[in-house]
Amino acid sequence: MTKVEYIPLKSNNGLIVHPDLAVLSALQPVLAKYGFAPMVARDLPTALLAISQHRFDLCILSMAISEKADGWALAAVLHMCFPHAFVAMIASNPDLLMLQTAINAGVTQLYLAGEPPTVIGEAILRDYLKWSPADKLQ
Amino acid sequence: MAGKLSMLIVDDEPSVCFTLKLIFEKEGFAVTSAGSARDGIKLLDSQQRFDLVLTDLHMEKEDAGLELARKAKELKPTPLLVVLTGYASMNNVRAALDLHVDHFAVKPMELPELLEAVRRLVGWRIDARTVGS
Repeated sequence: MTKVEYIPLKSNNGLIVHPDLAVLSALQPVLAKYGFAPMVARDLPTALLAISQHRFDLCILSMAISEKADGWALAAVLHMCFPHAFVAMIASNPDLLMLQTAINAGVTQLYLAGEPPTVIGEAILRDYLKWSPADKLQ
Repeated sequence: MAGKLSMLIVDDEPSVCFTLKLIFEKEGFAVTSAGSARDGIKLLDSQQRFDLVLTDLHMEKEDAGLELARKAKELKPTPLLVVLTGYASMNNVRAALDLHVDHFAVKPMELPELLEAVRRLVGWRIDARTVGS
């Protein structure tokens, strides 16, 4: 059977999943400033609906969406659906187990929740621009 | 990734290296092993291509496995990278995250968990590269 190579087409879609409306409101314009079409979700069902209907290059997640630590499972799903995507996790007080979980869930980078959301957003976009998704697809 | 997948196992404990080699050969991998990070890096520098690299961290020196991981990440195509360690610290796990290691396991590990992680990673990599085969 013919094999078709996977081509990571750039979508310029960004997904932000965070329960705090203030964080969503602050991150949305940062993504737009960098040319992304930002989509936002405050809960897991909305996030899953977005994942089922769009392709994402950049995903920003809270570690806790509807309940404590449910962000990790969503990160793993995003990594599986969009292996080329940069998955940023906003986490508070990362410890050793959390860092290990981040790696194993396919999170690209962790960001500290204590910083103002716009500062986090700018840091994520800076890292995204430096990141080469091709590394993961060869 | 047609045919047997190739794996490089790097661990300075001969019994761990031998056991992992047997297990992953049984899983269908073509396994090459090295007893130090230095020897592992030599193999990565050779013409041999590896689909997956599984390395210990603490070998001839502390976090020697990170040097090997860095080297593996420079390769094109980049192999999947699994790190095993009995000496996890905030520093080395942070470094592994920054290197975009694919899986990080802490010894003593449950073998079925490691096998499942490797099967999942290999499956994802194949899915990501090939559609419709």
